[in-house]
Amino acid sequence: MVRTRIITIGSGLGLTAVSASALAAWEVNLTPGVTDVSRSVFDLHMTIFWICVAIALVVFGVMFWSIFHHRKSRGAQAHHFHENTVVEVIWTIIPIGILVAMAVPATATLVQMYDTSEAELDVQITGYQWKWRYDYLDHDLDFFSNLSTPREQITNEADKQENYLLEVDRHLVLPVDTKIRFLLTSNDVIHSWWVPALAVKKDAIPGFINEAWTVINEPGIYRGQCAELCGKDHGFMPVVIEAVTQDEFQQWLADAREAKAAEAAAAERVWTLDELMQQGEQVYLSACSACHLPNGEGVPGAFPALKGSPIALGDVAAHIDIVLNGKSGTAMQAFRDQLSATELAAVITYERNAWGNSLGEAVSPAQIAQLLEPTTGEAEQ
Amino acid sequence: MSDKSTFWQTLLSVLSSFFGVQSERNRERDFREGRPLHYVLTGLLMAAVFVLAVILLVRWALSLAGA
Repeated sequence: MVRTRIITIGSGLGLTAVSASALAAWEVNLTPGVTDVSRSVFDLHMTIFWICVAIALVVFGVMFWSIFHHRKSRGAQAHHFHENTVVEVIWTIIPIGILVAMAVPATATLVQMYDTSEAELDVQITGYQWKWRYDYLDHDLDFFSNLSTPREQITNEADKQENYLLEVDRHLVLPVDTKIRFLLTSNDVIHSWWVPALAVKKDAIPGFINEAWTVINEPGIYRGQCAELCGKDHGFMPVVIEAVTQDEFQQWLADAREAKAAEAAAAERVWTLDELMQQGEQVYLSACSACHLPNGEGVPGAFPALKGSPIALGDVAAHIDIVLNGKSGTAMQAFRDQLSATELAAVITYERNAWGNSLGEAVSPAQIAQLLEPTTGEAEQ
Repeated sequence: MSDKSTFWQTLLSVLSSFFGVQSERNRERDFREGRPLHYVLTGLLMAAVFVLAVILLVRWALSLAGA
């Protein structure tokens, strides 16, 4: 029994020694990723791993050989002495040599990672509690990317689907074979934008702009997460990149800009209460329900209930004000830059007419658009 | 040899402390013959040299990378 187990473990070790791809198939290793930088990071990782293995073999080999060879039953006598400068110098110089040898390729990779020059596309990435905003700086396009995993799956009321907590409503679409520069910052606390397949992990810090870059070699979907503890929903703000060909990217840009224009035009027309309620529910679930909960009951002591609340049932101007401008000193964010006029009108209407709140009045997108007017186009500080 | 440490001996002892290994014989000699102020000053000087060396090393590495 014990012997078969030892043989199994032994052959397991033999397998891992054979190839790195076996490790990857076993999914315990770092992934090589899809960029040149991520491959050199992977190569560095493997090189250093094998150096560690070699050191371990030598050190533990000598140690176990010594223990075995100088055992008491053979009459070994301890040799009593204190300090040996030559040995001490040797065991100091060897690790220095190994560290320097590892630092040379590591430095080359680091220098490469920091070279953000000559990028063909700039994307500003802003962290929010708890979502990312992507701003295609030269293409007049920006949007928020929210978690799209249904809340029932998070609360264990439904089975969890594939890519649970790793899916968003709007992907960050990027072209392949293009040098893309990311400019990272944050709107509130420190976040970190991390996509393992690109070997990019960079802090997003309020008041600072950090740079990173990538050239994606293969089209595909690449997922990542926030890597800096940023509050209650830190684990609920994933990154999803959709890498497409140059042509598809241009087409997507045109479509996205058209949709944005249509969205702006939609704010001008008259919306019925039902339409607003329908859209409002969707907006509520993606933007508000994390704190105020899908049933509007909030979390007592932390997040106020909207069901039967004095604001949702009181003066509409005060309700609009708190949604647009937030409430300082609380977790209530200003949503004026995060949602469109239509979305804001819809969600406010929804809050005033859902879960037994029944004022029966609609807030019109045009009314909100007017309030947004003065700051439109200068959303950033 | 005089009964005071030479500058060369002080320097070597400071460098040994940077390296982390010193022989017992030299340690006893330093405590017998050395002046603390000499070691402090040499230590500060060597720390400055070390920082300068790191700066130059980084510049050299960056120039190799063409940055």
